Amino acid sequence: MVYTQKTPALFIIGLIMLAIWLLTENGLIAPVLDHLAAGKEYRYTDELTTIPLYFGSIATLFGVWHWLGAHKEGSWDFYSSSIAGGMFILLITMLVRWFIAPEIAVIGTSFGKIGDTGKYIHELLGLNYVVLGIVTGIIIVNVFKIPEWAKNGVRLSRLGLKTGVILLGALYSAAELKNLGGLSILMIGFFVLGSVGIVLWIGARRNIPNSMGGVLSAGMGVCGVSATVAVAPVVQAKPVEIAYTIGTILIWGVACMFLFPIIGNLLGMSYVQFGAWAGTGILNSAQVAGAALAYQPDGIETLMVAEIFNITRVLILPVIVLWLAMWYVKREGHTTNVNVGSVVIAKFPVFVLGFILMFALSTTGIFAPANHYQGKYFGNTVEQGFKQENLLQPEQTLLIQSEANKIQRNDYQAVLERLVVNGKIMSIEDDTAVRGLINARTLSPQANDILTAAHQSVRHTAKKIETFRQWITWLFAFGLVGLGMQITVGSMKQAGGQPAVIGGIVGFVKAALSLIVVMLLVSETV
Amino acid sequence: MFNHVLLASHGTTGAKAAENMAISTCTKGGSLTHLFVVPEFWQGMTGDDWLNNGSTRDQFRQYLETELGKEVDEHCARVSRAAKQQELHYNKAITLGEPEKVLIQYSKTQNFDLIIMGSPRPKSVEGLRSKMLTKNLTHCLPIPLLIAPYPR
Repeated sequence: MVYTQKTPALFIIGLIMLAIWLLTENGLIAPVLDHLAAGKEYRYTDELTTIPLYFGSIATLFGVWHWLGAHKEGSWDFYSSSIAGGMFILLITMLVRWFIAPEIAVIGTSFGKIGDTGKYIHELLGLNYVVLGIVTGIIIVNVFKIPEWAKNGVRLSRLGLKTGVILLGALYSAAELKNLGGLSILMIGFFVLGSVGIVLWIGARRNIPNSMGGVLSAGMGVCGVSATVAVAPVVQAKPVEIAYTIGTILIWGVACMFLFPIIGNLLGMSYVQFGAWAGTGILNSAQVAGAALAYQPDGIETLMVAEIFNITRVLILPVIVLWLAMWYVKREGHTTNVNVGSVVIAKFPVFVLGFILMFALSTTGIFAPANHYQGKYFGNTVEQGFKQENLLQPEQTLLIQSEANKIQRNDYQAVLERLVVNGKIMSIEDDTAVRGLINARTLSPQANDILTAAHQSVRHTAKKIETFRQWITWLFAFGLVGLGMQITVGSMKQAGGQPAVIGGIVGFVKAALSLIVVMLLVSETV
Repeated sequence: MFNHVLLASHGTTGAKAAENMAISTCTKGGSLTHLFVVPEFWQGMTGDDWLNNGSTRDQFRQYLETELGKEVDEHCARVSRAAKQQELHYNKAITLGEPEKVLIQYSKTQNFDLIIMGSPRPKSVEGLRSKMLTKNLTHCLPIPLLIAPYPR
């Protein structure tokens, strides 16, 4: 079978991207961008002048070849055919991120802030480029259908999310990974095992078949559709049971993706708290990432927390598959043996190894100095990025010396002494103390400005990590728009039967209980 | 009585009543064509799964396909046995797609005298949601349509 379709679609997509770049470069859409910026500086100008040029050129070249070239069966045909769908998703993501979401923000802002929440309606509802991208994907697949030429590429969107998770590995510090990992093992362990057990218990009380109980407990307990897909063949679920379960999970997942950010905003949750709640309380793993980015669209701290929970879930999945396989065999009175090794190997999420590898590489200092925190690091030598012209000038040291007696603590006075002697901050501890002095505003505004400049001159951003952050944002946005294109109303409509009842109870209890636990036990930072 | 009857079904309870009606309506020695539509929503059953490996997803797809295939085969075998008892020529066509659209298209491929199908599932009865009987269908069919009452 030849997968590449001879259509001008990819070529047209390329031209649209190039047109966006050209219009931006020539300032022809400047009034539009000014309108979208609503009096501020339009935040995506850098992206508009680079991304559509690069990807537009690729799409145009491949587009001509797809349209006019001769195509033969084979691996090259299969993989290159996916470019059309990939570029289709990318174009949708670009349009939503650069134009549609900012327009929604302009409209939302025009209504004013909502009550005493201090937020605009679009912020409260989480209507940012991530959520709008997923919704656009859902609309496209259900209203217009995915065009034949794009189908192969749309399936590849999963790769975007997995690559995003792998790159995310470079951003964690060892302490963060240890603290978040410990928290997620506790939370996921309790809630996953709890929900699986509760579903099996309710199922037994309601006399549902073992196959349905098995598939439903995995779906409701572990990671939604992914767990259902992994467990269904093991517990020999009937098609109708699979349809009921997946329909229920998809409806819950999509509803949670909208509701969780609203509740999080209303409760004023921190990024860590929200990430932990979304990572535990949302049934379906795709919507965990969606809700995290919906809550914090311009940063990835929430996503970093939520993804640790997702990774913990997927690492637990082989264990749950084994448990359910053994449970099913026992309940059905079968004599077949469950092959533990083959189940674990087949279900092990290989991409998690990529995540671990990136984390390990990050700790060696290959992307940024080993002591970096999310790409930011301390460095007061030229090799580490310190500029000699940032050394304190004589008049600046005089001012600091003259105000040092305003500070009562001896250790802080010593910090200032070292700053004056060396003309720069000498250690991370000193830098922390200087930040404390700046925040305390004990010194005059002029002295505070000098301290701020001294602090900024020893704080650097690793370019590679900054690039990773950009890529991660785009990979997740790309992946989620693509996944939106795989959520059909037809499959959601199948929610029903016992799975809808049991799923409703367990889904609600899990979301509510995990919210309470997070608010009571999880601190605002890690 | 009709010589060439098209029985449209997609595996619902209502379709079973239609099977009996089709067999009793078709003339002895006549042809009964059984159109079985596998609703296309089954294609979306991997949903937005992204955590699994390709092999796990393939295993799921193959499993689902096999299970659906078994159900379709059982269904067709039952109708075939009943048709043969009545000395009818039984043919089957199994297609994936939107039930309504597939039926409209298929009804134009041969000279059928009558189309028979089951009535929609009552709201109180559990089951999958996939309509075959729609307003559009009744407007577009080129031949008479007989709807069997839902079995009580």
